[in-house]
Amino acid sequence: MKDNFLWVEKYRPKKIAEVLGNEDAKAAFVDWLKSKRRRKKAVLLYGPPGVGKTALVNAASNEFGFTIIEMNASDTRTEKTIMKIAGPATSFVALDKFSTETKGSLLFLDEVDGVFGKEDRGGIGAIIRTVEESLIPVVMAANDPDLQKLRPLKKVCELIRFRQVRLPLLIAMLKRICSMEHVEAEFEALERIAQNSGGDVRSAINDLQSLAEEERVLRLQDTTRLTPRNRNIGMFETLKGVFSARSLGEAATMLNRSNADHDDLLLSISDNLPLRYEDPVDLSVAYDLVSRADVFRGRIGAENWHLLRYFYNFLAEAATVCPQSYRPFEFIFPPIRIITLFWTKSKRMAVDGICAKIGARCHVSRRTAKQEFLPFVKIVLEKEKSNAIASWLRLNTEEIDYLTKMNKF
Amino acid sequence: MGLDEEALMWVEKYRPKNLDEIVDLHDVVASLKAFLKTPRTMPHLLLAGLPGTGKTTVALCIARQLFGANWKTFTLELNASDERGIDTVRDRIKDFSRYGRTGFGDVPFVLIMLDESDQMTGPAQTALRRIMETSSRTCRFILICNYSGKIIEPIQSRCAIFRFSKLDKKAMVEHLKSIAKKECISLSAEAAESIVEYSEGDLRHAINALQTAAVYRDGVIDEKTVLQVMGEASPRQVQLMLNKALSGDFIEARKLMYDLMGLYGFSGSEIVRQMQRELLKVSYLSPEEKADLTNIVGEYDFRLTQGASNDIQLSALLAQFSKFAKSKGKLGER
Repeated sequence: MKDNFLWVEKYRPKKIAEVLGNEDAKAAFVDWLKSKRRRKKAVLLYGPPGVGKTALVNAASNEFGFTIIEMNASDTRTEKTIMKIAGPATSFVALDKFSTETKGSLLFLDEVDGVFGKEDRGGIGAIIRTVEESLIPVVMAANDPDLQKLRPLKKVCELIRFRQVRLPLLIAMLKRICSMEHVEAEFEALERIAQNSGGDVRSAINDLQSLAEEERVLRLQDTTRLTPRNRNIGMFETLKGVFSARSLGEAATMLNRSNADHDDLLLSISDNLPLRYEDPVDLSVAYDLVSRADVFRGRIGAENWHLLRYFYNFLAEAATVCPQSYRPFEFIFPPIRIITLFWTKSKRMAVDGICAKIGARCHVSRRTAKQEFLPFVKIVLEKEKSNAIASWLRLNTEEIDYLTKMNKF
Repeated sequence: MGLDEEALMWVEKYRPKNLDEIVDLHDVVASLKAFLKTPRTMPHLLLAGLPGTGKTTVALCIARQLFGANWKTFTLELNASDERGIDTVRDRIKDFSRYGRTGFGDVPFVLIMLDESDQMTGPAQTALRRIMETSSRTCRFILICNYSGKIIEPIQSRCAIFRFSKLDKKAMVEHLKSIAKKECISLSAEAAESIVEYSEGDLRHAINALQTAAVYRDGVIDEKTVLQVMGEASPRQVQLMLNKALSGDFIEARKLMYDLMGLYGFSGSEIVRQMQRELLKVSYLSPEEKADLTNIVGEYDFRLTQGASNDIQLSALLAQFSKFAKSKGKLGER
């Protein structure tokens, strides 16, 4: 019964309904495709690999009768090539209109985050130009929407987010394939495959095929042959995986696989704890664990990297204080500290300048001035702005203004 | 002119100009006077003690006594907390210490005052030690610090050490009253006592509070005014943050914490110290509850010294407070 098809190709969805999960994203995309007067001419589908972005575009154009003009990362995307392929395709829309069979064309740029490196110089600019000049709808797909390089694209297109496909859906689909392929599979084995894929449909199907195609039986012990999928796991995925983990082990695995910087991870997990735990007791327990993780971060310093495992262990514990209470929420990222410190830098400098002046006059350090003098000076100036003290301290009007208004925002 | 211009902050205006005017501290003053009789033999000095107990004042008095009106010319005043690196020691201190003032009467040396010297880094202290040795003929050091333990042993052994204990409350009250008299403000006895009580032996804090209170109601200070000033003068955000945490609103408390770090540039340990101060003032907590919370603060204060990120330790502390609040039924709103 062995055929030459990759199951991924064989079971590629033909209709929109066959695309697994991501109902919101699907609806949003179909809406955009169907509406005559689009707010934005282009759309960017983004999300982890293998969750059905390309599949959805193919299925939808199939259903609505669009002709797809496709370019993907394997084509070099210099400005020249993009204009060469996409240019004509986008400006000569009229010819197609005579045909009744097709509704028109669709320009599909897959893996747009592949547009970087020296060879692709100018690629992004060309894409934006294409979108702006295009007479036909443009669809783009990307894995990581937060890449700096893609930022300009966000302005010209509508964003639709894809998430990992939930495990039950994935398992049900694997089961369906098994029955069509006449594979006898243990449920636990399918569960393992689904888990291992981390919500990536394509890799799950590939794994299933590689494990079951020969024997047409699949037992749990076969899944030990599965290699963990070491994909690039970014911050969002890591946070999601860690916070939704049902056990300490699961969270720890997620952290191990993550590519995110460990300092960012520490901050982000800390930032998101109050959204994760509503119960103050859980929250305080989790924070205590994060605090200990931070203590270990301090001990690691710049050399004792072998301590990193304890650090991760505490983080994993902090994320799984109460696994059953997990409900999805919007993550805070980038870290609050980094944002705050960035936006307040000039204000801190202003305070510092005032404190230096007080310090020079009163024989104290800036630090002491800030703690012991600033609060009093502030009150005095609030009472009387033109107080002689201000001029004695050599404060200028700006600084006085700043000081008296400091608390009011 | 910088020298003669009348100081307007009372801490400066009423800073004693010579050792006899100094509040309390009789022992310290007595032995310093003995040194000053024969300045030539005066050793390096290390003045250690809590804030606002008169260390800087004593140092400035010594400078005046040694050099008279021109004291600024022969004194280098550095604040180690502002310039704590080894470069300062190498450049400014070394240059200044090299040239004494041979030929200027019976004081053949210049004076270097190093305030908050316990903030100096280890390497900087080591560099300093060397300079103290080589320049002993041309220069004297007065090192000022809160904790002498943070100064490396070799430096300690080169100095005569003076410890400044908390000032006597009665003496402080008297001092405040004499200032009030000179400034022609009416200061009730209770008000003076409550200022002293709040200041916990820190005279600088007390005088700052007195001056602020005087502005508050045009020169009439009663106990109520003092309370008001003390309430407002502690950075508001810290109080707010504490109250938010104690009413169980963790997210808001954390936001205020980031404000403190971002806008004011406070470090974690500074915030913790102020929290601890504020905690004792909170009226709706029983002494037992304050003790429990202080224990929690202590634990995280320690972790701050061990950990890598201030904000995380503070968040954890605030989370503990919120939990505490929940177990007692929302405290901040009581």
